[in-house]
Amino acid sequence: MLASLKIGKRVKIIDTSGTDRLVRRRLLDLGITEGSEVCIKCKMPFGGPFMLESCGQCVGIRRREAQTIKVEEL
Amino acid sequence: MDIALLGNPNTGKTSMFNNLTGSYEYVGNWSGVTVEKKVGLLKKGTASLIDLPGVYSLNPLSKDEGVVTHFLLHDSFDRMLNIVDASQLERNLHLTIQLLEFGRPLIIALNMVDVASKRGIEIDVEKLASQLGTSVVPVIARTGRGCDELTEFVTTIESPSITSFTVSYGEEMERAIERLARMLEGKVNHSVRWLTLQLLEGNHYVKAYLQSFIGKEELEVFIHDTSKAVLSNVEEKTIDHFIYRKRQAAIGALLRNSTYTEQENKQPLSEKIDAVITNKWLGLPIFFVVMYFLFMLTFDWLGFPLSDMLDGIISGPITNGLESFLSLIGASSFIHALVLDGVVAGVGGVLVFVPQIFILFFFISLLEDSGYMARVALVMDRLMEHVGMNGKAFIPMMIGFGCNVPGVMAARTIETPRERMLTVLLTPLMSCSARLPVYALFVGAFFVSHKALIVLSLYILGIVVALILAKVFSTTILKGETSFFVIELPPYRIPQGKALWKSTWEKGKGFVKKAGTFIFAGSVLIWLLSYAGPQGLNVEMDDSFLAMIGGLFAPLLAPLGFGTWQAGASLLTGFLAKEAIISTMNIIYFVPDEASLQGLLINSFSPVAAYSFMVFILLYIPCLATVATIKKETGSYKWTGFSMGYALLIAYLLSFLIYQIGTLLGF
Ligand SMILES: Nc1nc2c(ncn2[C@@H]2O[C@H](COP(=O)(O)OP(=O)(O)OP(=O)(O)O)[C@@H](O)[C@H]2O)c(=O)[nH]1
Ligand SMILES: [Mg+2]
Repeated sequence: MLASLKIGKRVKIIDTSGTDRLVRRRLLDLGITEGSEVCIKCKMPFGGPFMLESCGQCVGIRRREAQTIKVEEL
Repeated sequence: MDIALLGNPNTGKTSMFNNLTGSYEYVGNWSGVTVEKKVGLLKKGTASLIDLPGVYSLNPLSKDEGVVTHFLLHDSFDRMLNIVDASQLERNLHLTIQLLEFGRPLIIALNMVDVASKRGIEIDVEKLASQLGTSVVPVIARTGRGCDELTEFVTTIESPSITSFTVSYGEEMERAIERLARMLEGKVNHSVRWLTLQLLEGNHYVKAYLQSFIGKEELEVFIHDTSKAVLSNVEEKTIDHFIYRKRQAAIGALLRNSTYTEQENKQPLSEKIDAVITNKWLGLPIFFVVMYFLFMLTFDWLGFPLSDMLDGIISGPITNGLESFLSLIGASSFIHALVLDGVVAGVGGVLVFVPQIFILFFFISLLEDSGYMARVALVMDRLMEHVGMNGKAFIPMMIGFGCNVPGVMAARTIETPRERMLTVLLTPLMSCSARLPVYALFVGAFFVSHKALIVLSLYILGIVVALILAKVFSTTILKGETSFFVIELPPYRIPQGKALWKSTWEKGKGFVKKAGTFIFAGSVLIWLLSYAGPQGLNVEMDDSFLAMIGGLFAPLLAPLGFGTWQAGASLLTGFLAKEAIISTMNIIYFVPDEASLQGLLINSFSPVAAYSFMVFILLYIPCLATVATIKKETGSYKWTGFSMGYALLIAYLLSFLIYQIGTLLGF
């Protein structure tokens, strides 16, 4: 799962089917979907959101959502 | 000729619009700055340019995105100018493909080529253009490079041919397009290919549009059949994903032979800055420090001395000059009083605060243009989630510190209707720039040694009340599970002097203009009401019409510590514009400058009553312009009424508690 990843490690998304429909759609808009390479830039404290980076583009998403995104190591 | 500007969010559409039309619309470095359609005339030529909100795709999620789809479906225009961010070409081309499918003449402006080349991305413009079958013009909207050529190109080119470029979605899809065309029997003048694809992607606007030609049932059957047929022998599980994949593949092929990226270069500066700004532990403290500096500079270190200086000029040389001029031309005592006690007191009293307002707007513009706004949303999301909102709501609130009207408008970018409504309702609690003069006046009179601290406490009170009410509303009247937060974090940009000044001026201009028109007229009216009474003209102020009107509210306000007709009358004008409170007080207390007004105020307010009065002003009602915007944005009289009602109630309650408890404690 994306949420349990260490900061700075680059991975590939393999499954987003468990993610909220709207969130998945927005991530798709930003070019983040199955097959994209991402890495976590930082995690906000107290269960706060994550900052992801993909193709030089940074995106903030909630931890809850990150927990539903399946990834695999490169 | 009408040319529509279309493109992804934050790609520089409005920058381009400003550049080509010579006007100024709101520019900022985050996604969702423009939330409505704006029209302007080109500097050269006679065409008009239409600026629109940014969208990732034509299938909208939020209200500002819906503006674009609605525009394409229902408005008429001749050409589309697609602004494409060269540094994010892949993502941007998804929209371009949808626009090409729409089937109107299209020209691509390849913007941000400076950013792209810094990232080591090289684009073969010719190749891209020939593959897409459209013209591609590289530009830098920020500096204006290439903009002249672009204007020239867009307006003179005869009629740009409609491209033959198409993405192939397979045989089943082609059959579906033919089927829909047959169902429509040529009743629409939009491309059926585009309509079919948008419909299948789940575009509600297109669906509603098609339902005016085709029965609901029939359309559902069509969607169902097509999805089943298309998905029968592919691995994708949903039709929208299938369409996305096909486009993605086409874009991949397109880019493979028209762009060249230098392999892995160094860490971009933006990411280095982010390592600090959005650092796990530093993020929040940095935000508070930034806000503290912004506040202290506006209010204390820089703003106060400047305002004092201006006050000296207005009450000194200007008033004296006017006085001698009026005596010289032999003006009647009525005119004399009207000009000096009405207009100068009323308008001058407000103009004194121009320096502080401009400093505030300067810093807000600086934050907007740097890219910090989206980071604030990220940093604040956790807190906002606790009260039933999301971090994005913090952007309208920050804008609200300048003026509540654009703040309320900015809520359009919030996707879920529930969170958007909460944001619209609560943004007016942010202490806007027009409230600042009132505080300045009162702290100058009552809290000389803790000026900044007292004002800061009001700003914080506004935020705290908003957060508490958000929690209350979201667990009662605006209940709902859905909360949604995905935010694009744009790269930081160093704000440019000229753009910064422009943006500050555009915001501050409104304040000056209002002083010259609205406040001017209001001052004359207020002065007349204070000059005339049931017994005739030039009556004692206490016997004037104004005293009668204000007196109606005085008993109600007495438990709050300011049960005078003067307070009642000022609060009434404060609904029209918050800074009118200052004008009214200046006129009522009949004084030439701020300092002497402060002297008089001490006699009619106790310190705790003064604080209670400031709290009341902070909360009691959104100003008229904000109320009109809330009505426009919510489209409901009920919610508009509610936004005023709850504010009044909360203000009354808090002021009551502050005054009563404060008095009990012996302040
Ligand atoms: N470096 C660089 N920055 C640019 C360029 N064009 C625009 N910008 C910056 O990009 C940011 C976004 O510009 P806007 O014009 O507000 O973008 P927009 O497309 O209207 O954005 P939305 O209204 O949110 O969709 C601003 O900070 C601009 O200064 C460019 O060519 N190069
Ligand atoms: Mg814009």
